Amino acid sequence: MGKKEKVHVQICVGTACFVQGGADLLLYNEFLDPAVLGGCEIEGVSCIGGCKEAQSKDRPPYVRIGEKVYGNVNQEMLCKLLAEATRA
Amino acid sequence: MNDLFIDVDYAQIYKDGQKIGGDVFLLSRNPENNQIVCTLSDGLGSGVKANVLASLTARMAHKLSFSPMDLTHSARIIMNTLPVCKERKISYATFTIADLRVLPSDQVAMNLVEYDNPGALVFQGSRSLQWDVEHIDLQRDGAFKKEVLGHSMLTLPIGSRLVIFSDGVTQAGMGKSLPLGWRLDGVREFTRTQIEANPDISSHDLAQAIVCRAHSLDRLSAKDDITCMVVYVRRPRRTLVVTGPPFIKEHDGQLVQKIKDFEGRKIVSGGTTAQIVSRLMQKPLKVDMSCWSAQVPPCSMMEGIDLVTEGMLTLSKVATALEQKKPVRSMTNDAVKKFIQVMQESDQVHFIVGTKINEAHQDPSIPVEIGIRRNLIGRLRRALEDVYLKETSQEYI
Repeated sequence: MGKKEKVHVQICVGTACFVQGGADLLLYNEFLDPAVLGGCEIEGVSCIGGCKEAQSKDRPPYVRIGEKVYGNVNQEMLCKLLAEATRA
Repeated sequence: MNDLFIDVDYAQIYKDGQKIGGDVFLLSRNPENNQIVCTLSDGLGSGVKANVLASLTARMAHKLSFSPMDLTHSARIIMNTLPVCKERKISYATFTIADLRVLPSDQVAMNLVEYDNPGALVFQGSRSLQWDVEHIDLQRDGAFKKEVLGHSMLTLPIGSRLVIFSDGVTQAGMGKSLPLGWRLDGVREFTRTQIEANPDISSHDLAQAIVCRAHSLDRLSAKDDITCMVVYVRRPRRTLVVTGPPFIKEHDGQLVQKIKDFEGRKIVSGGTTAQIVSRLMQKPLKVDMSCWSAQVPPCSMMEGIDLVTEGMLTLSKVATALEQKKPVRSMTNDAVKKFIQVMQESDQVHFIVGTKINEAHQDPSIPVEIGIRRNLIGRLRRALEDVYLKETSQEYI
């Protein structure tokens, strides 16, 4: 069996995201399960752009997992999302 | 902007056990005629009393230097005004005044008045210069001794340094490692080796090095206030700060061209701005997750740009830290610290301010400090000019 590809995760560190909970997400090393953490490749990104879409019902902070963008992400939600993504 | 910069800074360690210094350093800049006056005064004794004497002296010397009055007359006024010490029955504070004026010929004219402080040192590169000092005798009524003022006029070309210090420096180590202390020759030799080892050493670093050395000679327990001031005449170090996207998208290319054409260090502050620059310069942007704190988002890295930070939060923290003159070494390793380090290592800062409004920042639920970019840049410029005496300029795009 080939090596499983890591899940690509981008956390937005733009101003709006950072002040509305994004700073908590950057502590991922502390709250994520190490097994999940091992299956992800996490990086920061200057701005995902979600905050600028006026129609969007989501609010910052935004996280991109693979190709999909999630809004209103908190630590608990990130744990759940990444656990699902790494299991898939 | 000037093509010559006078870098002035000082370092100070109080006498062991004192919470207030008897050495006082003052610095002002008069931008109208490119004049800078720096004064170092050492009050009799230490602690509060010395500080009162020295502050009075320094402040008077300082004010009088900006007036057209004759220097010897000013000195006499100062000496007659000082309060008398209750124990020693004398009024006494030493001072050194350096009045610097930029000449059109890329040189600085210096008018130096010394009264009982250790002699000032002047270096051209790492070579120590000797010059003739004109001595002016002053006889005051009821004075306990005859005062001698040293007066010298020198022209400092680019690459020269003036080093002024209090007797805490020359007497450091007295009776311990050195029988008579460090002495003027010791300080001169140390300064020479420092400049030789690092020819571009900033005034801040050189003053720190001298003060730390004196402190260590005193075995880390200073016997007197140790103060050192350095003036360094050199070409300005320039920095460009780009913040905010241009008002219309069509100007993006123009902004990037300005960044490319700028000679000096470059900072891009703002997530969207960084993305524009990254896209047009075709250089990838990578967020550096090792450098952030709970207050400010992480820095990013991009080839060709010295520092990439988030925008409003970082700038607002930078402005506050600059206004409060927070020491860099006490800061956490985040974007604010890196930004301030670059600011401190620059002489002229040019701001290019994008005027596009970020809709995401208009949300009432996010902190008030994310205000209007233009106000923030105004605060930054004022802090840089008033507190750090930097030259700044600005343009909108």
